[in-house]
Amino acid sequence: MSADRLMRRRDAPYSLYDIDILSADDDELKQLSSEMGLSLSLEEMKAIAEYFSKEGRVPTDVELQSLGQAWSEHCCYKSSKNILKQFVFALDHPDILSRGDAGVMAFDDDYGYALRIESHNHPSAIEPYGGAATGIGGILRDVICMGAQPIGLVDPLCFGPPDTEEEIPAGIKHPRYLMNGVVSGIRDYGNRMGIPTVSGGFFFDDRYTGNCLVNVGCLGIVKRKDLALNYAGGPGEVMILIGGRTGRDGIHGVTFASADLTSTSDEDSRGAVQLGDPITKEPTLHACLEVNEKGLITGMKDLGGGGLSCVVGEMALDAGCGADVDLDRVPLKEEGLAPWEIWVSESQERMMVTCKPENVDAILEIFDMWDVLATPIARTTDVPRTRLFWKGEKIFDMDLEFLTGGPVYDRPYVLPEVSGKAGEEFPRLPSDREVILSLLSDPNVASKEWAIRQYDHEVRAGTVIKPMVGRMNMTGPGDATVLMPVPGRWKGLAAAVGCNPWFCAEDPYRGGKAGIDEACRNIAATGARPHAFTDCLNFGNPEKPERLGEFREAVRGLGDICMALGLPIPSGNVSLYNEAPGGKFILPTPMILGTGLIDDVRKAVSADFKEDGNLIYMIGETKDEMGASLLFRRYGGKGGEVPDSDPEQLKERIDRLLKAMDAGCVRACHDCSDGGMAVAVAEMCISGGIGAEVSLEAMGAMDDRRKMYSESCSRWIAEVPMPRSKEFESFLGSQARLIGKVGGDSLRIAGEDIPVDELRRAWSDPIWDIMGGKA
Amino acid sequence: MRAEDVRVCVLRMEGTNCEDEMALAFEMVGAKAEKVHIKQLSGSAPAAMRRDLEDYDILAFPGGFSAGDYIRAGAIFAARLKSQVGPQLRAFVEAEKPVLGICNGFQILVELGLLPAMDDAMSPVPTAALYNNDSGRFECRPSLLRCDSRGKCVFARDIPNGKVLTIPSAHAEGKLMSMDPDFVAELEDNDQIVFRYVAPEGDAVYPWNPNGSPSDIAGICNPAGNVMGMMPHPERVLTRFTHPDWTRGYDSEEGDGLAVFRSVMDHLIG
Repeated sequence: MSADRLMRRRDAPYSLYDIDILSADDDELKQLSSEMGLSLSLEEMKAIAEYFSKEGRVPTDVELQSLGQAWSEHCCYKSSKNILKQFVFALDHPDILSRGDAGVMAFDDDYGYALRIESHNHPSAIEPYGGAATGIGGILRDVICMGAQPIGLVDPLCFGPPDTEEEIPAGIKHPRYLMNGVVSGIRDYGNRMGIPTVSGGFFFDDRYTGNCLVNVGCLGIVKRKDLALNYAGGPGEVMILIGGRTGRDGIHGVTFASADLTSTSDEDSRGAVQLGDPITKEPTLHACLEVNEKGLITGMKDLGGGGLSCVVGEMALDAGCGADVDLDRVPLKEEGLAPWEIWVSESQERMMVTCKPENVDAILEIFDMWDVLATPIARTTDVPRTRLFWKGEKIFDMDLEFLTGGPVYDRPYVLPEVSGKAGEEFPRLPSDREVILSLLSDPNVASKEWAIRQYDHEVRAGTVIKPMVGRMNMTGPGDATVLMPVPGRWKGLAAAVGCNPWFCAEDPYRGGKAGIDEACRNIAATGARPHAFTDCLNFGNPEKPERLGEFREAVRGLGDICMALGLPIPSGNVSLYNEAPGGKFILPTPMILGTGLIDDVRKAVSADFKEDGNLIYMIGETKDEMGASLLFRRYGGKGGEVPDSDPEQLKERIDRLLKAMDAGCVRACHDCSDGGMAVAVAEMCISGGIGAEVSLEAMGAMDDRRKMYSESCSRWIAEVPMPRSKEFESFLGSQARLIGKVGGDSLRIAGEDIPVDELRRAWSDPIWDIMGGKA
Repeated sequence: MRAEDVRVCVLRMEGTNCEDEMALAFEMVGAKAEKVHIKQLSGSAPAAMRRDLEDYDILAFPGGFSAGDYIRAGAIFAARLKSQVGPQLRAFVEAEKPVLGICNGFQILVELGLLPAMDDAMSPVPTAALYNNDSGRFECRPSLLRCDSRGKCVFARDIPNGKVLTIPSAHAEGKLMSMDPDFVAELEDNDQIVFRYVAPEGDAVYPWNPNGSPSDIAGICNPAGNVMGMMPHPERVLTRFTHPDWTRGYDSEEGDGLAVFRSVMDHLIG
C-alpha cells in the first residue's frame, strides 16, 4: 500500500505537491509519515489533519516537511520537556546573562562567557569524520550567535572498546574506525577554525558499540555590551541568510536523530549527514562578530537542525512577528532542489541575521569584504504566520504557534532498580601492584595523548593549565583546563567534563549527581570556583518506560545537586533514541561540561607532584561505595553502593580547598575518580616524575582495598610543602588527612613498591598501542 | 624611530587564525599592529579600507590554515599574494624591512620564495618545502629551541647565541626539506639557521624534534637577516603563564616568546 493517491503535483515549473491528508485514513497517514520521512506518529498526523481542516485546505509537501522538523524530538523536546521543567529549568542564578542558543554567564564587570554542549551522535555513527566535524561547526555557531568569540572546544566521546575483537553487527562500524574518524574530524575542523580543543573525555564500553556518542561543547567570550539576541527586533525587518550555499546534504538530519539507528541507517541516512567547510566558516565568524559589534543587526541565529524551516519561525516568533520568505532567493549548491528540500536542508556554515532595512547595505558590504555570501531572503511581518513564496506564488502559510509549538508528552516511565550493599559481591583480586597497573591501563583511565596532541589546544594563546600537565613531553592527566580569555587580564575560566555513565546505569539518580560532583572536583582542583554547567543528556528510546525512567532519575539528580550548590545550567541539549540496531541501548550518559572562575590564573594549581619531601593529604571521606567502580567493572565485582555526593560536604570542601590554594599552600591537586585514590596518587607520580609513600591508616577503619579503590565523591589528593602544613590543616580542618609524602622513584602503598617508570608505561601505552603511531 | 611609530601589518586571509595573538605580541613591545586582509593590499576592498604595504615597517604572517591548506600548506596564500602584490612585496624585502612568518606564515614565506632565498631576495620558484611531519600527524606539544643565530637575524638580535627558549609547536607539516644536498651546510655558512629543536639532555629525538626536520631546524632567516620563518609559536608564550610547566616553578613573569618581538623592535628603534 502506498500513499501516492494523496499526492497531487501542482502545475508549476518546480516540484511541489498538495497532499490530501484530509481524506486519508489512519493507515494512509502512517504511510505518509513514513514515506515522506517525517517520523511523526499517527496522533501527530491527525492533529495536523485537524489543523488543515480548520484552515479549509490541504497542506503542501513543504508544510508537512516543515512540521516533521519542528515536531521532532530533536527540535521540540516533546518527551523530555516536562521532566526538564520539573527539575532543571527553574535553577536560577544572578550571573546568568542569557539563556539563548548558548547560555551566557557573567565573567567580570565587562565580559560574559558563553557555554553550550550538544550531541552529534547519529551522524557520527554513520560518517564519523563528517559527523564530528559538522558537530564542531554547529556548536561554534551557537556560541557565535550570542555575539561571542569562541575560545575553547570541549569534546567528550563515547565508543565501544576500540580493541574489541568481537564480531560487530551489521550496519555498525568498528569502534576503532569511529574513534579515528571522529578525532580526525574534530582535529581538522577545530584546528582550521583556530579554536583550541581544550578538554574532553573518552568513555569506552561495549554498550556504546552500536551507538557512539559525540558530544561537542564550546566556550566563548563576549563583551557584555555586544551580547546578541537570537531573534528579530520586530516587524518590518530584513532576514539575511549568511554563509554556505544550500544543498541536498543534511536533509532529514533531525528526524534521523530522533529515531533509533537501524542496520540500514548507513545506506538510508547518509544524506542526512552534512558536509563541513571550516574555511567558509572561519571568515563567517569574523564577519558575524563584526556586524554585531557595529550594532548593525537586531538578532542572529545559526541554522542547525531543521535548517531554514526552524530558524525563520523561531526568530520571528520570539519577536512576536511572522515572516514572509522568498524561498527562490536562497543560494543553492546545485539547481533543481524542490522547495521542501531547500526549506529543511541542514547544509552547513549558514547563519541568519535580522536587521532594520536601512542597515542591509552596510551589512552586505562587510560580508562581501570577507568574501562570505549574504542574501536577504525574508521580511518580518506583524502577522504571526510564516509564509513562503516561490517566484511570487505562495506555497506555505502556517500559524507560527501551531508550527513551532509541537506536542509535549508525559510518557510512562518505570523507576530503575538501583544497586546496593545487600547484593554486593567483592571480586577476587591479584596483588595490589597488579591491580594498580591494570587500572592505569584501562582505556578509560589510560593516557589520551594520542588524541590530545592532534588537537591544537593552545591556539589563541590563552591556555594556562593544559589538558596534560607536568614535565614537558612526560606529562600526565590534568583536571580542568584553565583559560585566560581576555588578553591583559589575569582572570581565568576553567572548564572540565564530569560524567560517570556506569554509576548512572546502576543508580541514575546518584549517577546524575556524581557527574556534577566530578566536574566541580576537576574545576576546584585547579584553584577555580565552580560557576555553571551545560549538559548533554544522552539516553535511549523515551518510548520505552525503562529508558525514560533512567532519564527522569538522572535529571532529578542533576537538578537536586545544582539546587543545593546554588549553580545553574543555563544551556543544554537532549539526545534520545540512542539505541543500536537490535535495540541494544547505551549507558545513560548525562554529559556535564562545568565552568569555573579563578580571579588570578597565576595562582592556578596543576596535578603533578612537584617536590621531594612535600606532604600528601587526602581531602574528603572515603566510604564503602564500590558500586560500578572501575575495580568492580574490571574484576567482575557485583552490586555495592554507588557513590553518593553530599552537596553540603562538597561545597564546604571546595571552600576550604580554594582558601588554602589562594594562600599558596597547595603545590599540586588532583581529584579522585575512576580507580579511586590509588589511581589518583599514581597519576600524580606519573606527571611529576617522582614517587610517593602512602599510608592508609589515617583513612579510617575500612579494609585497605576499599580505601584504595572506592570512588566516593568529593575527594582530592593535595600536595603541601612541609612548612605550609599547619596553615593548610587550619584551612581544611577535619576535611583533610595526612596520608603520605612525595619522594623517591616509586609508589609505595599497601606493602607494594612500584617504580614510577612502570606506572608511566602502564598508563601511557595502551591507547597508542590500539590506535597506532607511537614514536 | 620611536616604538609607537613602528607600524606592523599582520596579514591575513580566510583560514589565517593566529592573527590576534600575533598583533598582541607586537603591541606588547610597543608597536602599532594592524590586522590587514589580503584584499586590502590588492585593491579589491572598498576604498576606505585599502592599504599600501609600503606604509608599514614590519610585515607579519600569522599561523593558521590559509585557504584550508588543502593544496599544500601556504601555497594558495603565497600564490595570491605574489600575483596581486608581488612587486610591492619584493620592494619591501629588498628595503630590508623585517618580515616574520610563524607556522603557516613560515610555510607561506617558503612558498613565496622569500626563504631560504639564497640566490635572490624572492626566488621565482620555491627552493625548499615544509614536508609532512615524520609522525604523519598534527602535533601540538611544547618544544625547546636553541638560538643558533650568530647575529644576522633581526628577530634574534637580543637572544644570546646558545640560549634555550621554551616555545610550543602545533603543526602537521614542519619538516624543512630541499633538493640541494648541501642545503643545511649552506644555511649554516650564511648564518641563516636561527632556531634548532633541542632536548633537555642528549639529541633532539622525537618528540623534542616534533617533525623530523633535518639538523633539527626550527626556524631560518634569509641571507640578509630581515626575513625569518619558524614553525613554533613565540606569540603563544608572551607571559610565563601559558608556558607548559610554569606551575613547576619560574623566575620571570615574562614569556620566552617575547624576545623575538623585542629583538626586531630594538633593531628598528636602534
